Amino acid sequence: MYAADVGPQYEGERIRKNEFQVEFGGPDVSHKGELVTVKGLGEVEHEKITVSGPDLKDLPEGFSGPLFIKVEVAGEELEKDLEAVLERRIHQYINYIEGVFHMAQRYDIWIRIHKNSFKKGLNSLEQIGRILIDLFTAELPVIEKMSVEFITDPAKVQNLLVEALKVYKERDERIKGLREEDVDEFYGCVLCQSFAPTHVCVITPERVSLCGAINWLDGRAATKVDPEGAQFAIPKGNLIDLVNISYDNVNQVVTERSMGETTRFSLHSALSYPHTACGCFEAIVFYIPEVDGFGIVSRDFAGPSVTGDPFSTLAGSASGGKQNEGYLGIGIQYLTSPKFLIADGGFNRVAWMSSALKEAAVENLPPELAGKIATEKDVQNVDELTEFMQNAGRL
Amino acid sequence: MKQVAIAGKGGVGKTTFAALLLRYLQKNRPDILLLAVDADPNANLNEALGLKVDKTISTILEGTKDPKAVPSGMTKEMYMEYKLLDAVVEAEKIDLLVMGNPQKSGCYCYPNDLLRKNLEKLRSNYDYVIIDNEAGLEHLSRRIVSQVDLLIVVSDSTVRGVRSAARVYEIVQAVSLDVKAVYLVVSKTTDTEVAKLQEEIAKTGLELLGSIPLDPLVAEYDLQGRPVVDLPDDAVAVVAFSKIADKLKL
Repeated sequence: MYAADVGPQYEGERIRKNEFQVEFGGPDVSHKGELVTVKGLGEVEHEKITVSGPDLKDLPEGFSGPLFIKVEVAGEELEKDLEAVLERRIHQYINYIEGVFHMAQRYDIWIRIHKNSFKKGLNSLEQIGRILIDLFTAELPVIEKMSVEFITDPAKVQNLLVEALKVYKERDERIKGLREEDVDEFYGCVLCQSFAPTHVCVITPERVSLCGAINWLDGRAATKVDPEGAQFAIPKGNLIDLVNISYDNVNQVVTERSMGETTRFSLHSALSYPHTACGCFEAIVFYIPEVDGFGIVSRDFAGPSVTGDPFSTLAGSASGGKQNEGYLGIGIQYLTSPKFLIADGGFNRVAWMSSALKEAAVENLPPELAGKIATEKDVQNVDELTEFMQNAGRL
Repeated sequence: MKQVAIAGKGGVGKTTFAALLLRYLQKNRPDILLLAVDADPNANLNEALGLKVDKTISTILEGTKDPKAVPSGMTKEMYMEYKLLDAVVEAEKIDLLVMGNPQKSGCYCYPNDLLRKNLEKLRSNYDYVIIDNEAGLEHLSRRIVSQVDLLIVVSDSTVRGVRSAARVYEIVQAVSLDVKAVYLVVSKTTDTEVAKLQEEIAKTGLELLGSIPLDPLVAEYDLQGRPVVDLPDDAVAVVAFSKIADKLKL
C-alpha cells in the first residue's frame, strides 16, 4: 500500500550516518521544526499534502538540511490544548515507517530516511504525509480534516520557525502557570522503593519529585509510555484539607503504595503529615524551634548548616520513607513553586538558606523578604540567626 | 545481538583487548554492525579506535536534572532518547558511546532508569555490543547494562592482577548478574609468566581463555597516539587475539 512498510515494530530503529539517503534537522542543522495547529472546519482542506522546496528525490544522497512540518487539523471536538499532544504523534507515527527515524520535537526535530527505503520507492515527502494523515485519522477519530505541508526551502523554514517559536512560548507559559487545581491527575513514583520500600513520591504541577528529575509533564509522559511502570497516575480526588492541602485519593494511593506505612500526605507542609523521602532528595527543609522558622540546605553544601548539623545528619531525619514532622526532603525546583510550603507560611517561615539555594529561589522570593533570610554568609549558628531575625524585625 | 563485557582493573590492558576484539570483528565479519561502549571513566576506548568524542552519557544524565539543560516543553524521556542518539559517534561499521565521568551526588534513579530503557532500544540495532567496563562494574551492578552473553575479565601477568580479576568475578557472583559465560584473559605476558601464574589463576575459579603477549608494537602505537585497531595483521597481539577469537567461535 505504501512504498515503505508501516507499523510499531519499526519504532526504535536507528539509521546511521552512512545509511541515510536524506537527513532533516538534527544537532548540526540550525533551522527545523514542526507545528500542529487546530483550525476551524472550514479552514482546513482535508488530505491536502504539499511539499514546498526540493523533495526527497530532488536531494543528493547524503543530504542534510532544514525541514518544517506544518500540520493543520480540524474537528468538532478538537481543542487548542490538544495541539502539543497531537504534535507528539508526529514523532510516534513517523517512527512507524520502516527506514525512517524521528527524534525530539518542536524546534529540535531530527529525521533520517534510509537509503534502502528510498530505493524501495519512498522518494517523496508526500508519501510520509499520506501515512501521517491515514494514521492520525484512523487512531484519532476526533480529527475530521487534516492537511500536511513539508517545507524544505531554507528561507521559508526560517520564517515559519520564528512564528512557531511564539506558539511554543505561549504553550510553555500556559504549562508554567498550571496549578494543582487545574488538573485532575497527579503522578506517583516508586522507583526508589528499592532503597526505601515504603516511600512514594507524589508529583504535581506545583511539586517536582524529590530527586529533581521528574516534573508533572514527565510523569504524564512516563505513564503514557508504560502505565504499569514505576511512575503511575494518581487521580487526585477531593481536597479534604484546605490548609495543609491533602487530597483523599492521594492519601488512598499513598496508603496502598507505602504498604500502610503512611496514610496521609500534606502536599505542602513540613510540619503536618509531611511528604516522605527515600533519602536522595536534592535539599532538606528543617525546623529550627529557636526562631520558629525553617532552614534549607542542599546536598552539595559542604560543612555544617546553621544548626551545626551538616546535610548528611539532617538527611537521616527525613529518610527511609518515614514521616518525621519538621523535616522535609525536596527537589530544588520546589523552591520556585507557587505552593512552596504554603501550609506553613511559605518563605515567610524560612529563616536560613544556603546561599546557593537562595539564589535558586530568588524569582519566587517576595522582594521584601529577600534581605531578611540569612545564609551562611550572614550567620554561623542559631544564636547569630536569632539576632539576625530580631534585627530584620521577624522575631 | 550479543553483548560482550570486558572488565578488569585499570592498566591491565582491558581497553587494548576491547579494541582487539572490535578490530577482529570489523575485519572478519564485515557484514555486522558494532556498538562499542566505553563505560570506564578512566579508559579511552575512543583513542584505541581512533575516534573523536565530544558528548558523553554522563552529561546527559546531569542534564535530565537541570531544568535549564532540557529544552522547554520537552519531557525527560524525549530528552534522553534524543541526546543519546546525538552522543553516538558514528564510524564506518562501528558506533561508539562514552559513559563519561561518574555522577555528582544526588539521586540518579530516574535518569539511570531512562538510560537503561533507551540503551535497550538502541542496542537492538546492533549485532554486537562491546562494553569496556570499569573495575567496580558499576553499570552492570546497577543493571544499566544487563544480560551479558560473554564477560571477559582481563588481568596483566602479575599476581596482583590475577587477584584483582578474582575480585571482579566475586562482584559478578555477589550481585547475581545475568552473565552467560565468564573467562579470564591474561595480557602483557612473556614466555614463562603464564605458567608461573597458573596456581593463582586456579584460585580465581575463572577459566583461562588465553593470553595476549606483551607486544612492543602496541606500546609504540600508544606512544605515537595511533589507534590499536590500525595494528597490522601480523602484530603479536593481533595474532594472539585470533586464537582467542577461534576459541570463542566469534
